[in-house]
Amino acid sequence: MSSILRTTAAALAALGLLTACSSTGSSTDAGGGAKVTVTYWDNNAGPARTPLFQHLIDEFEKANPTITVKYVGVTSSEVAEKYNTAIASGSTPDVGGVTTALLASLTAQKALAPLDDLYAKSSLNGRLAANFLATSKAASGGKGLFQLPSSGNQDVIWYRADKFKAAGLAAPKTWDELFADAAKLTDKGANQYGFTIRGGAGAGFQVLSEAYAYSGVAEMFDASGRSTVDDPKNVALIEKIAAQYKTTTPEADVSNAYPQMLAQFQANQVMMVHHNLGSTKDVKTALGDKVAGFLLPAGPDGTSVLANPVDGFGLFKNSKHQAQAWKFIEFLDSHASNSYWNENVGQIPANTEAYADEWYAKSGITKEAGDLLNASGTKLVQPPVYLPQYSKITKTDAEPAFQKVLLGKTSAAEFAKGVADALTKAQADYKSKNG
Amino acid sequence: MTSATAVLPPAAARRGERGSRFLRLFLPLGLYLVFTVVPFYWMLLFALRPAGSASLLPWPLTLEHFGTVWNDMGFRVYFQNSVWIALLTLLFVTFFALMGGYALARFEFRGRRLFMLALLCTQFVPGAMMLIPLFNIFQTLDLIDSRWSLIIAESTFQLPLAMILMSGFVRNVPVELEESAMVDGCGRIRAFLAVVLPLLRPGIVAVGSFAFIGSWNNFLFALMFLNDPELQTVPVGLQTTIGENTVDFGALAAGGVVAAVPVVLVFAVVQKYLVQGMSAGAVKG
Repeated sequence: MSSILRTTAAALAALGLLTACSSTGSSTDAGGGAKVTVTYWDNNAGPARTPLFQHLIDEFEKANPTITVKYVGVTSSEVAEKYNTAIASGSTPDVGGVTTALLASLTAQKALAPLDDLYAKSSLNGRLAANFLATSKAASGGKGLFQLPSSGNQDVIWYRADKFKAAGLAAPKTWDELFADAAKLTDKGANQYGFTIRGGAGAGFQVLSEAYAYSGVAEMFDASGRSTVDDPKNVALIEKIAAQYKTTTPEADVSNAYPQMLAQFQANQVMMVHHNLGSTKDVKTALGDKVAGFLLPAGPDGTSVLANPVDGFGLFKNSKHQAQAWKFIEFLDSHASNSYWNENVGQIPANTEAYADEWYAKSGITKEAGDLLNASGTKLVQPPVYLPQYSKITKTDAEPAFQKVLLGKTSAAEFAKGVADALTKAQADYKSKNG
Repeated sequence: MTSATAVLPPAAARRGERGSRFLRLFLPLGLYLVFTVVPFYWMLLFALRPAGSASLLPWPLTLEHFGTVWNDMGFRVYFQNSVWIALLTLLFVTFFALMGGYALARFEFRGRRLFMLALLCTQFVPGAMMLIPLFNIFQTLDLIDSRWSLIIAESTFQLPLAMILMSGFVRNVPVELEESAMVDGCGRIRAFLAVVLPLLRPGIVAVGSFAFIGSWNNFLFALMFLNDPELQTVPVGLQTTIGENTVDFGALAAGGVVAAVPVVLVFAVVQKYLVQGMSAGAVKG
């Protein structure tokens, strides 16, 4: 009998657990149906960004009491999979964070609503940087505006200002000066290196941005549709970078991604590290005034070409609350919100009214990058992120191929030709399908 | 017959034996232990030392990272969610594995072998392949953003292997014991509960602990099926300590300790049953 009692008790305990677990926590619109919940997926959640969004959402909800925003933080490494699953199952959010790199995939799947008309009628019209809007349109294959830009990023080389000063050096203006400074600052016996190369994750795109900055080539494809990656000037820079490996850089660079590079930089092992404005807060927090930044140096002809990665927001086509969702996007890109956001993440505001703000005027490298990006004579190269194969070519294929260049198993010219051939083929496929 | 040890004085022979034992056993095991323990030590070190410290000892000791992850980063909620989900998965998997495993072990029915083969074949399908179909099913059932989606998905994925394992454990219980109980007047259910179930304890513990740990560690389903931060689980919470450009190593390590503690406790409590379970039926007689 006791075993039956024990069984009954176990069943009751299980029932208790079931009851405890029955609350799904899913939010419903309260207040007699007047309140609308807009779901927002952050495409790069993390300890640095999530609290900023939570603050902005609080402000938005105060100003719009009939709209509740449900924040869903997704990390950048998982966001593509999460979006793709949601698109395939028709359960996309109302608003989503979208980088230019993600934009191509989302527009190709026809998941986003066009924003051209909404923007034209919005109070934001004319207040967002023209270059940012151009980048957004180019990243979606020139089919219109599917991302409202919020921040611009830019490649930066962080350097140890204190060590440069001690060595009597100034921030380099050209690549040759950079390599010369790197040699002067290298002391292998003291485990100190002048430069660091990204050989691990992200290496493909990074070395290409360095190559285009050096070469001054401003188009990714020539008139015949042939990729310019293997332009002799690009190859020359890749050769120069590879020659730095183990000479002015640590041996571990062959597999290092950004976190390892930053760790070396913070540990006094390397004097210059190439990343972007996204790491402003990290390096400033870790090294304070000992660190400063400069934009990618120019090549032999004195012109520097910049890529212009843009972060922003997309309105999903399946949203049942399009008006409220757009209102939220407008709020995020308003002067106050956009300024708050970019001040805290150290990036270039898309809202041009923010350029008059005190923080921006005093931001140093962020303002420098923004001024250059928005200057009329600046040459911008738009990476073909709209190609479905772009990520595979620049990551899956290019990263191990670049490691072979560093290890001397293949030449810079062969590496560049491999990437160029793949991009040329992908562009031809894209053109044949999309005209 | 003479040997080297035979001609050595007893003390020297013992020293030689100890030296040989050290080289054959303790040295390789010690090296293996270093590889196993160092990552855990590293995790504890980052969790217990102040941010920015390069000390190789967790000194000065701080619990600030645990406070951050538990209170500020939501791990208190993630932990509770993970516990409920893992416990319910454990209950479902164990219950249905017991039923199914018993049927597979004790009843002869048409297609039994084929059914067992089908159960095995389900293990070849990765979870990622099933994401979109599962998503659609849960959406139809209004279970997206509900812990039930995770419990059902995880139980379903774990059940086939658990049933196969459990059928092996049931086979190791002599059928004569059940028959004797039935001769004495027990029905099949009573005979199962009174005679077989107590003997299946190692099997239940093995299957249950694997179900708990599998569910506790699941990341993909939690990421895909749950959106509300109030419903999220520890593995997804851990991921949020890693930004694109920023990694909060202290919080990540403290979160790692929080995630590892239940698993370590489960193994510490059940390891003796696990050993029994693994070796059950190895020697018959």
